[in-house]
Amino acid sequence: MAGSRGALVAFDHASKRYPGLDLGRTGAVEDLSLEVPAGRICVLVGPSGCGKTTSLKMVNRLIEPTSGRILVDGVDVATREVTELRRSIGYVIQQVGLFPHQTVRANVATVPTLLGWSADRIGGRVDELLRLVGLDPAVHADRYPAALSGGERQRVGVARALAADPPLMLMDEPFGAVDPIVRERLQNEFLRLQEVLAKTILFVTHDIDEAIKMGDLVAVLDIGGRLAQFGTPDEILANPASDFVARFVGADRGLKRLALARVGDLEPAPALTAHPGDDASAARDRTLADPFPYLLLLEADGRPIGWLSATQVPASGILEEAMATAMSPLLDVRTTLKDALSMLLAADVQAGLVVDEAGAFRGLVTAEMIAERLHPTTPARAAVD
Amino acid sequence: MDTSWILAHLDELGLRTIQHLGLAFLAVGSGFVLSMGLSVLAVRVRPALAPIIALSGILYTIPSLALFAALVPVTGLSILTAEVPLVLYTLLIFVRNIVAGLDGVPGDVLEAADAMGYSRRTRLLSVELPLALPLIVAGLRLASVSTIGLVTISGILGDRFGGLGFFIFEGYRHAFPTEILAGAVPSAVLALSVDRLLVGAGARLTPWSVGSVAR
Amino acid sequence: MSVVTATVAWLTDPAQWSGAGAIPQRLLEHIGLSAVSLLIAVAIALPAGLAIGHTRRGKVVAASLTNIGRAIPSLAVIGIVLPITAAIDPQLGFKVYPTLVAMVILAIPPILVNTEAGIAGVDRDLVESARAMGMRETQVLISVEIPVALSVILAGVRSAATQIVATMTLGAIFGSGGLGRFLVEGIAQNDDGKIFGGVVLVAGLALLTEAAFVTIERAAAWRGREHPGTNRRAAASVPT
Repeated sequence: MAGSRGALVAFDHASKRYPGLDLGRTGAVEDLSLEVPAGRICVLVGPSGCGKTTSLKMVNRLIEPTSGRILVDGVDVATREVTELRRSIGYVIQQVGLFPHQTVRANVATVPTLLGWSADRIGGRVDELLRLVGLDPAVHADRYPAALSGGERQRVGVARALAADPPLMLMDEPFGAVDPIVRERLQNEFLRLQEVLAKTILFVTHDIDEAIKMGDLVAVLDIGGRLAQFGTPDEILANPASDFVARFVGADRGLKRLALARVGDLEPAPALTAHPGDDASAARDRTLADPFPYLLLLEADGRPIGWLSATQVPASGILEEAMATAMSPLLDVRTTLKDALSMLLAADVQAGLVVDEAGAFRGLVTAEMIAERLHPTTPARAAVD
Repeated sequence: MDTSWILAHLDELGLRTIQHLGLAFLAVGSGFVLSMGLSVLAVRVRPALAPIIALSGILYTIPSLALFAALVPVTGLSILTAEVPLVLYTLLIFVRNIVAGLDGVPGDVLEAADAMGYSRRTRLLSVELPLALPLIVAGLRLASVSTIGLVTISGILGDRFGGLGFFIFEGYRHAFPTEILAGAVPSAVLALSVDRLLVGAGARLTPWSVGSVAR
Repeated sequence: MSVVTATVAWLTDPAQWSGAGAIPQRLLEHIGLSAVSLLIAVAIALPAGLAIGHTRRGKVVAASLTNIGRAIPSLAVIGIVLPITAAIDPQLGFKVYPTLVAMVILAIPPILVNTEAGIAGVDRDLVESARAMGMRETQVLISVEIPVALSVILAGVRSAATQIVATMTLGAIFGSGGLGRFLVEGIAQNDDGKIFGGVVLVAGLALLTEAAFVTIERAAAWRGREHPGTNRRAAASVPT
């Protein structure tokens, strides 16, 4: 089958009009054009009635477009035989739709069975998938859906969609029917899964926070099925294309953007540094001369010990560890800017110390530098490479 | 109660019981097949549903006695005269239950089935019918029990029919209570036994109720 | 089309409309016996259904009895009861009681099932609010549960009524009155007009009964008692 590494999906002026209804009515789609690169998650987000689910269903032809085309790997889906098309696309919906009269094992095996895989191959695949979604086959495989919790049912739904290793997955509010704690866990696990599987995923949600968290690309749809903006989460947050988008992402979009960026994205500012055993008087001169008169004492391997103000540096002798009394929060390069800002505010300090994986000091990050990210004219960093 | 009469007629009682079951199962079987086709049609072609239900509803109000009698000029005193009304009566029960069963399949299950690439036929056979099974079995139960009852009434058509009902008619004609009871009691027991049997079979065919694990 | 003409002839024959054993008499017998059976069945099944539905106890017993009642063939009931009641009361014991008993047994299951399901299906939140307001149990039943469940309960009574009207004909086999006599006599006399005339009358009466009850149900609903509080799924699962 076409590589499991992800299919290319493109909407080419796709529209869905319902006879007798004018646009602006729920569920219609108007002239949607966008391209999803292979192996990426594209989130379709918007308010109720914006046509996001309709657009999704046009890909596997549960709904047929009234005009325009949808292309998967360059082939118009309308030209493919419909059941063959659907067997090559994974589909996960909010209510899951597990077959109540079949065991978990039989449910997961649905598409492989339809494709005629051998019993051995199916059996192995089912076990593998259940483990992949975090369920123990020995415990769950022979249970019926009615006996599962909401979270377990969702996991089985995902396993079922992945069973035949489709290059494309369609997901319609898949995590909507579970409580927020379970939802967050499922989202994180799914993102980890995607790192390994790298499938092309079209994901529908009405929740902008979920869209930003899950998407490599986000398509914001307006009521009536019009594409309001298409870009990376950061682009959407930094530069909303219209009032509608700005309102939809919310007034706190600056903070949301902070959650997207990491300390490692910033260029840390340099600081005056010294090591224990260095000459004190030379250090003192250096520190007094600097507009930011503070000296950072580091271990031999670069790990920060603490700050000395200029006046605390002795005029003679050598620097010692015990002289450094003040400390700033340590910021890992992977810490989000949002968390970094929280840490700085909590510690009531101006700057945090950026350290790498080994704990060695890299530079300073100040609250000002973080605040500069909130400025709307800051050019966005592309999240897609 | 004249037990000696009963003992003397045991083999005839047996034969009549077999005749009773035969007439009943023939009717239920044909009615089921016919209704299955009608139901699938009614579900696919929505407009057809209302007339089908209405027609069977009207049939139901015609007393069985009348329906049997009505067919005599047409089909004489043949097995058709006995069977056709029985089959027609099962239609309302079956169609209503089968359609309700098929309608009761959750929408998200149907959507998932379509999305996974089931053809319409496979979807009907692998998903819709199994899930409609509880209501279909309930319909089978009701139809079987009522048909067993109606077979007794077919005794009005004469000695060759009626199953155990024959004894009820004969017993009344001869003012012989024992014979009446010899027909009435076993037919009641027959109906109750078939009812119980189908309840058990239905439970075994639907192992997916809450909390169960596949054996 | 001689059957049709024969039927029309029979129905329009003035001789059929006067005298003993004629249409008016049989009609009255039929309606009378049906009404009495229905009333008795309601008197038994309605309170039972209300009690079981409200307290949610005794469901299993009720279900078993309902199943038995449904399964036993009516002709068999008549056959079993007849020798007993004939011995007790040679007059009515033959012509009235067996059919009466059989019809009551026939009518109890639909009334019981619908009443129980209707009451039990009332939105629990509604009932709880009523209790919280200080209503006594009987008040809750009368002021809240019955009005909400009314359409379902009436549907059960309607189902019972039409079944009685149609099945009442069986009594004629054993000499009971009612429209069934035309069927039995018509078969014996090989008189097609009489048979189908009887059929038309019975079917007509059954449909009239159905229509009458539907009107009653509509009137009850129209009075604004159609609460959104009825559990639709419970109501719909009951055969009407």
